[in-house]
Amino acid sequence: MNLPKDGDPVIVQNITGRYGSLHTRLMLDYGTNIAAGTAPGKAGQTVEGAPVFNTVAEAVAKTGAKASVFFVPAEYSLGAAKEALLSGIKTLVIITEHIPIRDMLQLLETGRANGATIVGPNCPGLILPSERVKLGIMPAPSFTPGRFALFSRSGTLMYEIASQMSSSGLGQAVALGIGGDPVTGTTTSEWLDYVGTRGDIDGAVVVGEIGGDAEERLARHIKKSGFSKPVVAYIAGRFAPKEKKMGHAGAIIYGNYGTAESKIQALREAGARVAMTPMEVPLLMKEALAR
Amino acid sequence: MPKSILARSVKDAEAAFGSLAHPVVLKAQVLAGGRGKAGGVVEVSEASKVETEAGRILGLSIGGERPSALLVEEAFPHAKEMYLSITLDRGERAFLVVASGSGGVDVESVAGKVMRRLPLDGIDQAFADKIASELSLDQATAKAFGQILLSLEKLAREKECELAEINPLAVGFDGQVMPLDAKIIIDDSALFRHPEFSKIHPEDTFEGEASRQGFAFVHLEGDIAVVGNGAGLVLSTLDLVGDAGGHAACFLDLGGGAQKERMEAALRLVNRLPNADRILINIFGGITRTTDVAEAIKAVLSDGNVKPIYARVSGAEEAEARRMLEGTKVRLYPTAPEAVRAVVAAK
Repeated sequence: MNLPKDGDPVIVQNITGRYGSLHTRLMLDYGTNIAAGTAPGKAGQTVEGAPVFNTVAEAVAKTGAKASVFFVPAEYSLGAAKEALLSGIKTLVIITEHIPIRDMLQLLETGRANGATIVGPNCPGLILPSERVKLGIMPAPSFTPGRFALFSRSGTLMYEIASQMSSSGLGQAVALGIGGDPVTGTTTSEWLDYVGTRGDIDGAVVVGEIGGDAEERLARHIKKSGFSKPVVAYIAGRFAPKEKKMGHAGAIIYGNYGTAESKIQALREAGARVAMTPMEVPLLMKEALAR
Repeated sequence: MPKSILARSVKDAEAAFGSLAHPVVLKAQVLAGGRGKAGGVVEVSEASKVETEAGRILGLSIGGERPSALLVEEAFPHAKEMYLSITLDRGERAFLVVASGSGGVDVESVAGKVMRRLPLDGIDQAFADKIASELSLDQATAKAFGQILLSLEKLAREKECELAEINPLAVGFDGQVMPLDAKIIIDDSALFRHPEFSKIHPEDTFEGEASRQGFAFVHLEGDIAVVGNGAGLVLSTLDLVGDAGGHAACFLDLGGGAQKERMEAALRLVNRLPNADRILINIFGGITRTTDVAEAIKAVLSDGNVKPIYARVSGAEEAEARRMLEGTKVRLYPTAPEAVRAVVAAK
C-alpha cells in the first residue's frame, strides 16, 4: 500500500472542473502539497496557484508527484487513469463514481503491473490526519490525528463515524473510502494487513453496508491471518429491502447474498465487535482496548 | 431457441397457443429473479387451461414487479438440464464462467460445477473446449456446449453484462442442445457506450420520477419519508428508524455535494408520497453546506401544505443553519437518534 507523507507533491486530475478546483482549495487549506493539476487543452492556466498541464506525464516530470486525486468524469476515466498509472503515479485516488466494471478491472491489472495502489472509485478519498495530508473531498473538521484506522464503503457515514471517534478521543492515523462501486481498487482485507504492519495503529474501524461479500471475506481474512488488533465494524442496511440498489451501485441484496445479517454474523464469529449504530462505534473500540 | 410468441394479454396468449405446437410453456416476462419459484413458469397442454394460467401469471407480483407480458413457447422435451453463466465475482474482482452439466434451476446447490476466471480480452476455442471437457459430457454435447460458451462470452464482453446466464441449457433426447431461458444484466455504468440500450425507469411513479431527477430513491411501505445525503448515511437512518419501531416510506439519497435546488426538489417529491405522513431529514454536511439545506427547507415550507419535518442537520455552517430554521415549523434535533425517536413517537 503506497501512502504519501507530509509534504509529498500531489497532482489533481481534471483540476479545472467544478469539484477539482473547489477541492484543490480545500486540500491546500488542510496542508496537502497540491503541486500541479491536469486538464487536456488547459496547459498554462493555474488553479489556486497550482500549474495546469495537458498530461500526467508532464505534471509528474515537473513536480515529481507520485500521488493523484482523480476527478475525471466516468466516460473518460479509463484512458485518464491508465495514463496516470503508466506515468509513475503510485497512489491513485478515484473520487469519480459509476466507472464501468470492465474499465475498473482493466485498471486493476494496470495498477498491479505498475505497483500502484488504487483507492476508490466512488469514494471520498483518503486522509492522513497525522501527516496533514488529504487526498479527497472529506470535511476536515471530522478528522483528528491519532492511532486508529477507519475504512468505509460509504462517504457521509465515514464522516459521521470519524466525528464520533474524534469527539471520543479516538483520532485517526488513516481514514479512507473503499468505494461504493461494485469493483474497488483495494479491499478492507488488504488494508487490515497494512494496519498489521503499522506499530503506530492500535485498532481498525470498518464501515460496511449491504451488497457483495466484502465483509464476509474480511471475516475469513481476520481468522486466517490471525489479525490481533481490535476490529470494530458497523454495517448499514439491516432494514433495506432485497433486490433494490440502495444508492451505491454495489449496495444490493440478491436473495440471501449481501444481507447485513450475514455480514454481522461473519464478523462477530471472527472476533470483531459489531456496532448497531454509528454512535456505538467508539464505545466498542474503547471496550476492546480495555481488555 | 424454441419457437415462441410474446403475448401481452390473456387473449394474445390463447391465440399464440393456437398457432404453436403443444404442449407450450407460459413464461412471465418480468424484471426480477426467481420467477419459476414464484409460479411464473408453467407448462400447458390443453387450450382450456391457457385462459386461467395466463391470467394468473399476468396477475402475479414477482419481487414486487408485475409481469409486463407472457412468452408462449413450444415445450422442448429434454433428457437433462445444464447451466451456463458469465458473472461478475465482486470478491474475486473478476468475471467468472460458471458451468454445470446438470442442475438447471438450482445450480447454487449443485456439486461439481466448474468455475473459472475469464481473461478480460476474451477466450478462444481451446478455453471453451477445456471447460466443456470438465463437465463429462458426450462428444457431441461438449462440442455444442463449447460453441455456446464462446458466443455467450462474446456477448457478455461486447455488451458489458454484469451477468449473462442460460438456465436451463437443455439437452434433448436426440442430443440437441437448446437454451430454454436466459437472463442478462447490463452494467448500468457502461450504458453511455451502448446507445442500443436505453435505461428502463422504474414502474413505480415516484421511483420513476426520482430516477429521472437523478436521485437514488427507493419507495418503501412505511409512513416516514427518509431523506439524507450519502447512501450509507441514509441506509443507517433506515436502521435507526427500524430499531426504534418505525417504518420508512422511502429511501432518498441526495448524493454528495447536494445543492439547495436538489434538496428542494427532493423535499417536494417526498412531500407528495401518499403513504408518508411525516418527513425525517438526516444531513451530515461536509461537502453539502447545511445553510443550503436550511434555505431549501425554508423555500419548501413557504409553498405551504408541507408534512411535519423532523431534522438533524450537522456539519459545515451548522450554527448558522440552526439559526435560519429558528421559528419555522421544522423540529430540529442535535443527533440522528434523537430525531429518529421523535419522528417515530409522533405516530
